[in-house]
Amino acid sequence: MSPSLSYDVVVLGAGVAGLTAATRLAEGGARVCVLAKGVGSTHLAPGTVDVLGYAPDRVESPSAALGDFIAAHPDHPYASIGADHLAAAIDWFAEKIEHGPQPGYAYVGGLDRNHLLPTAAGAIRPSALVPETMAAGDARAGAPVCVVGMRVLRDFHPALCAGNLQRAGIAARAVAVDLDVGRMEANAVGLARRFDAPAFRAAFAARLLPLLRAGERVALPAVLGARDPHGAWSELQERLGRAVFEIPTLPPSAAGIRVYDALRAALRAAGGRLVIGAEVHEVEREGERVSAVTAHTSGHASTYRCGWVVLATGGFHSGGITLASDWRASETALALPLHGMPARDEPRFAADYFGPQPMSTVGVAVDGSLRAHGTENVFVAGAALPGAVSWREGSGEGVAISSGSAVAQAVIERSGVAASA
Amino acid sequence: LVIGGGATGAGVAWDAALRGLDVVLVERGDLATGTSGRFHGLLHSGGRYAVKDPSAADECARENVLVRHVAADCIEDTGGFFVTTPFDDPGYADRFAEGCRQTGVPCEEIEPSLALREEPRLNPRISRVFRVPDASIDVWKLVWALSRGAQERGTRVLPYHEAVAVHRNGDRVLGCRVRNARTGEELDIEARVTVSATGAWAGRIAGLAGVEGVEVQPGRGIMIAMNHRLVNTVVNRCKMPADGDIIVPIRTVSVIGTTDQHTDDPDDHTVLQDDVDAMLEDGEQLIPGFKDARALRVWTGVRPLFEDRKQHGSSDTRDVTRAHALLDHQQRDGVSGFLTIVGGKLTTYRLMAQETVDAVCHQLGDWRPCTTATERLPGSEHGDYYHVGERLARREQHLFDDQLVCECELISRRQFEDSIRRRGTTDLDDIRRLLRLGMGPCQGGFCVYRAAGILHGLNGIDTSQANAALLDYVRERWKGVWPILYGDQLRQARFDEWVFQGMLDIEHLP
Repeated sequence: MSPSLSYDVVVLGAGVAGLTAATRLAEGGARVCVLAKGVGSTHLAPGTVDVLGYAPDRVESPSAALGDFIAAHPDHPYASIGADHLAAAIDWFAEKIEHGPQPGYAYVGGLDRNHLLPTAAGAIRPSALVPETMAAGDARAGAPVCVVGMRVLRDFHPALCAGNLQRAGIAARAVAVDLDVGRMEANAVGLARRFDAPAFRAAFAARLLPLLRAGERVALPAVLGARDPHGAWSELQERLGRAVFEIPTLPPSAAGIRVYDALRAALRAAGGRLVIGAEVHEVEREGERVSAVTAHTSGHASTYRCGWVVLATGGFHSGGITLASDWRASETALALPLHGMPARDEPRFAADYFGPQPMSTVGVAVDGSLRAHGTENVFVAGAALPGAVSWREGSGEGVAISSGSAVAQAVIERSGVAASA
Repeated sequence: LVIGGGATGAGVAWDAALRGLDVVLVERGDLATGTSGRFHGLLHSGGRYAVKDPSAADECARENVLVRHVAADCIEDTGGFFVTTPFDDPGYADRFAEGCRQTGVPCEEIEPSLALREEPRLNPRISRVFRVPDASIDVWKLVWALSRGAQERGTRVLPYHEAVAVHRNGDRVLGCRVRNARTGEELDIEARVTVSATGAWAGRIAGLAGVEGVEVQPGRGIMIAMNHRLVNTVVNRCKMPADGDIIVPIRTVSVIGTTDQHTDDPDDHTVLQDDVDAMLEDGEQLIPGFKDARALRVWTGVRPLFEDRKQHGSSDTRDVTRAHALLDHQQRDGVSGFLTIVGGKLTTYRLMAQETVDAVCHQLGDWRPCTTATERLPGSEHGDYYHVGERLARREQHLFDDQLVCECELISRRQFEDSIRRRGTTDLDDIRRLLRLGMGPCQGGFCVYRAAGILHGLNGIDTSQANAALLDYVRERWKGVWPILYGDQLRQARFDEWVFQGMLDIEHLP
């Protein structure tokens, strides 16, 4: 007999959508437990909040473009959530980061104007809300850019980045710095931990300073601190006497993990619980209600009774949805029905890599309140939703934060937990 | 002059160079990008043809021994099984054993329980098992070794040079005109003998020479690379050759093959969904759970099957003999200085080259003996077979003084840079064939950005060339991925899309 635990809401998935939903529910007075197989896409994502980057041309202002976008994409999650709720949710997110565990660390920007930030390949990418440590990279800022690589980091190539910035009309050049980290290669997260130490920052700045020219901004891979990014970034700006900015690069992502850390802290502060390593193995149903899920954790099964469930397990990329070799797709935690699957005789993918891919908009079928079809008490948030092609639209975090927030509100309205709290 | 840089053409160049002839080899793409680079990697023991095509079986059996000797570094001595599954005619096994005995294919029947101990993923209901000396062979390594050996003996090798005209004077072929695929420049090459080793494209070259009736029936087959080594021994179904009845463990993957469909265009690489589905079903019969395993990639190859239509009327290309044909156009058409070598299979590349160069010597009136049966290829001088842990062992030696570019295939930065400098290429697909860059589970998700970044600045490669290399390679990988995307590989592809389209935004590179 497995031990039984009881919550108002069980949230499945610990990405941005799941953590947003859980935190907002906990803040609303619900007893919440997040169950997740592992951490979510935060650890792979660049750490920016992309709301609407391409539609399909580059979007200058998400708030101005959203109306037309929603009208043209009635199946998109934004159509159910609405622009107003989206804006409020993004504000909530920025506030959580600002009061998060990384002292002084903040996001800047909003829906009115996208930042245009260089990628590690040197393309210019639009993002609505970005870490303060990245903002100075905006392509419209005038100063020439010195892209600084670290030879030990094989996941960032400054010369390619600078070369493309030049092609885009931005004065840029590349330099490389040797760092002694005791081995030949390190990833962004390993380096970020080093940058938490003031002595390491000082030594790095001392090596870099002589390589810089007057008036240049400094671009670095996104490695400026895990626990103290604000401290690392401001200290480097001070020591180098100029604007410094981070460029996200290949996973794992230090900037993304900062988001995870901040949301996890917010969840705990609000009284929510988070269990990582908990994969759902059994589901109990009463009619159209999911009444309990059983997950295996720490070598034994635990049953979590719940009044409501938020499914935020992601799409194909996270294993929330799978496609078998016989071309049957399924949602993996609760076996919910899907929406958007191409018919058997229709193409699933297209030969053109950058062309529209029919499988890309598959997700869990939901109604206008993001409640899963065939259920009374399951709501869906994040990349498990159908209709968005986030990596092309530049809408991943926007969908995750706004849908997480929307389902939290939907549950609170229906359950009255806030009133009873 | 040798036209065609597959295993046969490179083999001819190596053979002729060893005999002291003055050789030039031209290939329209990179070496081993036609049929040679698109096969499953099986060095046949001959067992596959023991019943159906005894002369092919006999050739394979003899060549298997010789190729193992001269090209050991390209070969992994996996051994092979022929297994009778519950889906196969049980009567075939005895005919198979008899066929092997008659054709000289070494074959030993073993207990199914022993085979299952060695290959526990095999269908437990197999009833008979024969052990044969099949092996897997890295065709790129082989062709590069042949080409390097030939070059060391004075051969000029010109990849990315396509034959656009064959020069004739009366009834004599004098050479050809080639076009540099990268610069568009044209070049005339004079030769006393021109050899067409162009496989499925042989009819076109013969046409350029004004020789009629060289009809190659291209038989297209699909192959699927499965992640991991589902087996460590080559596994064949013990039945008449058909679709999806071979699984070859090669390097880090296992390849299942193949189908056989007549095609009119040897450059048509369309993959049909039904073929993929059928192949997965076939795999399931050999290895239960196969359909749930992770498939990396699918591709097609085109067999250069040659038949004399006056003697055969069959339309099933699998019925056409796997044996090769050497067309001496002096005897056949009264055109001297021109030979076509066609048909055959990779396992018999050496024999085909030997017969071809014998004929070249005959036309030149200058007899020189062939030494390819004993002369070891560059890299194989030691005579040791490749083993699958080789790269890991090398990586461990350089753990602290070199970086990894590609985790899946354990390619170091130094290896990668050396290859770029040596090849002088900007095409990452050329490097893939040398080093297996991007051929593992992530299909380039991590290594392609790194590779483009390192490429940039080497050999004076500029940003636009590096961008093109990045984009071309991502598109090239997608070709073999999208027809077979499901399960974990779909998850991987989605991750790669986040990296390329989300994080790096390569679609919007300036």
